[in-house]
Amino acid sequence: MSNTVKKKGLSREQVLSAIVVLAFYIAVFVAEQIVPSTSMLFTVLKKGATYALVAVSMNLLNGFTGIFSLGQAGFMLIGAYVYAIFTIPIAERASVYQYYNGGIVQVALPIFIAMILAGLVAAFFAFLIGLPVLRLKSDYLAVATLGFAEIIRAVFQWDKLGPVTNGSNMLRLFPTFNDFNIRNANGDVTIYLSTLVPMLIAGFCIALIILLINSTFGRALRAIKDDEIAAEAMGIHLASHKQLAFCISSFFTGIGGAMLAMYQTTVQAKSFTTAMTYEILLIVVIGGIGSVTGSCISSFLFVACSEWWLRFLDQKQMIGSFEVPLLRNGFRLVVFSLIIMIVVLFFRQGIMGTRELPDLFRRKRKKTGKEARA
Amino acid sequence: MSNTILRIDHLTMQFGGVVAVDNFSMHIDEGEIVALIGPNGAGKTTAFNAVTGVYVPTSGAIKLMGENITGKRPDQITKLGIARTFQNIRLFSSMTVFENVLTAHHLRRTSNVFTATLRLNAAEEHQMRADTDALLKKVDLYDLKDEIATSLPYGRQRLLEIVRALATKPKLLLLDEPAAGMNPQETDELGAFIRRIRDEFDLTIFIIEHHMNLVMEISDRIYVIEFGKQIAEGTPNEIQNNEAVIAAYLGGDDL
Repeated sequence: MSNTVKKKGLSREQVLSAIVVLAFYIAVFVAEQIVPSTSMLFTVLKKGATYALVAVSMNLLNGFTGIFSLGQAGFMLIGAYVYAIFTIPIAERASVYQYYNGGIVQVALPIFIAMILAGLVAAFFAFLIGLPVLRLKSDYLAVATLGFAEIIRAVFQWDKLGPVTNGSNMLRLFPTFNDFNIRNANGDVTIYLSTLVPMLIAGFCIALIILLINSTFGRALRAIKDDEIAAEAMGIHLASHKQLAFCISSFFTGIGGAMLAMYQTTVQAKSFTTAMTYEILLIVVIGGIGSVTGSCISSFLFVACSEWWLRFLDQKQMIGSFEVPLLRNGFRLVVFSLIIMIVVLFFRQGIMGTRELPDLFRRKRKKTGKEARA
Repeated sequence: MSNTILRIDHLTMQFGGVVAVDNFSMHIDEGEIVALIGPNGAGKTTAFNAVTGVYVPTSGAIKLMGENITGKRPDQITKLGIARTFQNIRLFSSMTVFENVLTAHHLRRTSNVFTATLRLNAAEEHQMRADTDALLKKVDLYDLKDEIATSLPYGRQRLLEIVRALATKPKLLLLDEPAAGMNPQETDELGAFIRRIRDEFDLTIFIIEHHMNLVMEISDRIYVIEFGKQIAEGTPNEIQNNEAVIAAYLGGDDL
């Protein structure tokens, strides 16, 4: 314990962590200018950033406040729809809302304002359903939020809401990640930013969540997770703090939904299934419940495995004249499931446990974790 | 010095057909150490829970410095000046000693979630941390401040729980069996510690305890309840010679 001296300013570990994050961003920027933009690398980074934000938001609830919510897909759906509805250029609305006379919303907001609006609407829904639902405990709460997500999915496809949501039809032609690229007069891309900007957005939001977690409110939330009765006896109002965590988590999940819309370039309610929530949950568990760093790392690994690294398993592979057995369409998912099972079995605490990036730079202390890899 | 801090009037706590506390009245004056004793299942902790808002009384009133607190939430009651510890230790298990005590400062924040997240409350946060350090130094826990709270030895955990309650700056401190599981030496130290904090923090203390030596040594007055009913009240001397109390503890007439 040699580093207890200076308390003001940043510690050595925090500086090193900042350098690592900065280097990562610079690498992404450089890669984007050199590597062809069709590379799978960028798909993974874009979707990974989106999922990382949603996973960290979920971790804020499940890992830091102890509220086991499974409503993520529902809040992402709200975020994605709000973003899409308010950014489709007015000129394109007639073709998008072809069955509903161009729809009734006739404004197109700037991208960032629409994203914040997406978060706010998601948070508002969270506030409303939080009032009754947050009184429930653990599994009951999980089932209630899961049900909410299913209901939202059905409601958004309801024909009567068509003028707003386009019913069960797709929303499209809204600004996507590619619109962040800087183009010259001829429309050729001069600087590629379509990966960097979403990563910056996710990074900014995650940074805010980290600041929250390390504030006095974050401590109160952790206290609630550790022991509700003791937290209440320490003067922490349970209902308002849980509601707060729920709304903030949903706010960022809504922004994540908006990012997913931009990533997919189209939005359709039926794709926001429970399976999406489970993917996020899996990312949180694999990363480590209670570790923001873990959620980020595991979301990139998860997306990379499911979208990229295991793709070769879906095609016939020849080694010389020998055809590798078993490889066929769908085999990827078998291997993927096996990997997840192995991780869950042998890394009970997830990749990171409850440690964060700065902890990795700390000089060895008494207890050394076995799984010291990130 | 006869300012009444806590007054319980005709408190009754009923759970279905079970009457856990039956028409119980008492008062505690400023600066007193008052003990509540009684056989197991007499309703002592139930009375505590009613005072701290964990239970809403079936009937009766509880007043803190004249203000009616009956039916208020636990967090509201803590803010009004009653802090407590628990019979089975309830520390925040994922937090360090320092963080446990720091969390107890949350209730006096003036920041909201936005100012706290954006670090606009740096002065307040700094003050909270300084206060926590000062408090830990005062009670000799400063050297352990970066340890995970639940990794401390049992006696220290009990001590930390009291310190965490002190950090809410209470006027009245409720201790629920603080000596449970302690060896005689630790119990002696605890007695001295309770007296010390009473004087240093201008506290009034209400204690449930089974260690009779400790109770008799530190209490100014003692209330005895059995089956939810008060059977005696008085100074330690009076209680020790009270026949109803002896009967309740040793089994009564037929012995």
